[in-house]
Amino acid sequence: MSLRGVAAYNPSMGAIRVVLADDHVLVRSGIRALLASSGIEVVAEAGDGRSLLREVRAHAPDVALVDVSMPLLDGVEASRRIARLSPRTGVVILTMHDDPSFVARARRAGARGYVVKDSAVERLLDVVRRVAAGETCLADDGQAPDEPLTSREREVLQLVVEGKRNAEIAELLHRSIHTVRNHRARLMHKLGARTAADLVAAAERLGVAIGISGSGWE
Amino acid sequence: MGTTRIAIVDDHALVRDGLARLLTLEADLSVVGSCGDGAACLELVAALRPDIVLLDIALPDADGLALVARIRERSPESRVLMLSMHSEPEYAAEAAARGACGLVAKSSSPEVLVDAIRRVAAGESLPTPHGLSPREREVLALVAAGRTNDEIADLLGIQRKTVEGHCERLMQKLSLHTRTALVAYGRRIAF
Repeated sequence: MSLRGVAAYNPSMGAIRVVLADDHVLVRSGIRALLASSGIEVVAEAGDGRSLLREVRAHAPDVALVDVSMPLLDGVEASRRIARLSPRTGVVILTMHDDPSFVARARRAGARGYVVKDSAVERLLDVVRRVAAGETCLADDGQAPDEPLTSREREVLQLVVEGKRNAEIAELLHRSIHTVRNHRARLMHKLGARTAADLVAAAERLGVAIGISGSGWE
Repeated sequence: MGTTRIAIVDDHALVRDGLARLLTLEADLSVVGSCGDGAACLELVAALRPDIVLLDIALPDADGLALVARIRERSPESRVLMLSMHSEPEYAAEAAARGACGLVAKSSSPEVLVDAIRRVAAGESLPTPHGLSPREREVLALVAAGRTNDEIADLLGIQRKTVEGHCERLMQKLSLHTRTALVAYGRRIAF
């Protein structure tokens, strides 16, 4: 095999490979089209946080471009898990809002880039390329708010607020209903929540970015 | 058959440019302009007289729904198709009432959007789903505020059983299965 042939197998020489996650198909398709016309390859798409993790496991992409609000598992929690699942993958968070405390949370969860949806295409391409090259493109000035819940409790909180019943949550997490009830009781206790409305308010306060599609919202 | 000329109004540049890229893949559609706020939208529409205005319902400086009438004043032949992050039935009903020809959720596929644009350009209006009754909205707002069924019954001067009926119908109409989901939904709609 010639040297040239070997070089062709070096992933760093090929197009940047991206897994793209956003629960709004129109937005996702548009961003995919923008990336494609700049030579960045979208190897898989996902519409919720859990299928995002599956695609990242399957493709080990250079970059996961992740909308922050997604059903089942939000972008920040997904970042935390991608860091363990596929350390070579750099997470770039896509968001509607430019919020320093949120950037700090994303950073703490292991994200390496942050792009507001109001950015120009050039900015998106620049961040994706730099993160694919191993750089971190995140401001580090914001203070991350305290995080009272464990990663699992946040996940359960999101699912509860999205309207999932205990049995559905147990199935999604491959845990017993008993375990889910425990998680739920513990997180309600930690949050001082007694009613459904308390839980929803707490989720908003903690920045649990629930997705609205795919969970009976639409 | 001529090309359908489209203007895109959405405050997120990436969304706007992505949509433009998608639509220009269709031979019969052309994106003639785009902008990110209500004031620019009115100028753009007056200058370009597009066949279709693809209008995001939530803009920083204007309520997209309120813009529909002003767009039609400036360019009566333009038809407005709304875009929304949410596909709650009340939004579609409201959009139709304000003179839009339809509403497409951003969770739709590009095929659905392209089909909607072609139908609206051909003079059709998209069908609207059933909205909520004023009483149902009232109950939903109170549920979202954390009121119990007993409290809601007291506040509205109706039977608790009637409140339960409203909640059941709300959950059915909105395809929600738990009270928590109803609370979260109600807060999102923010009456």
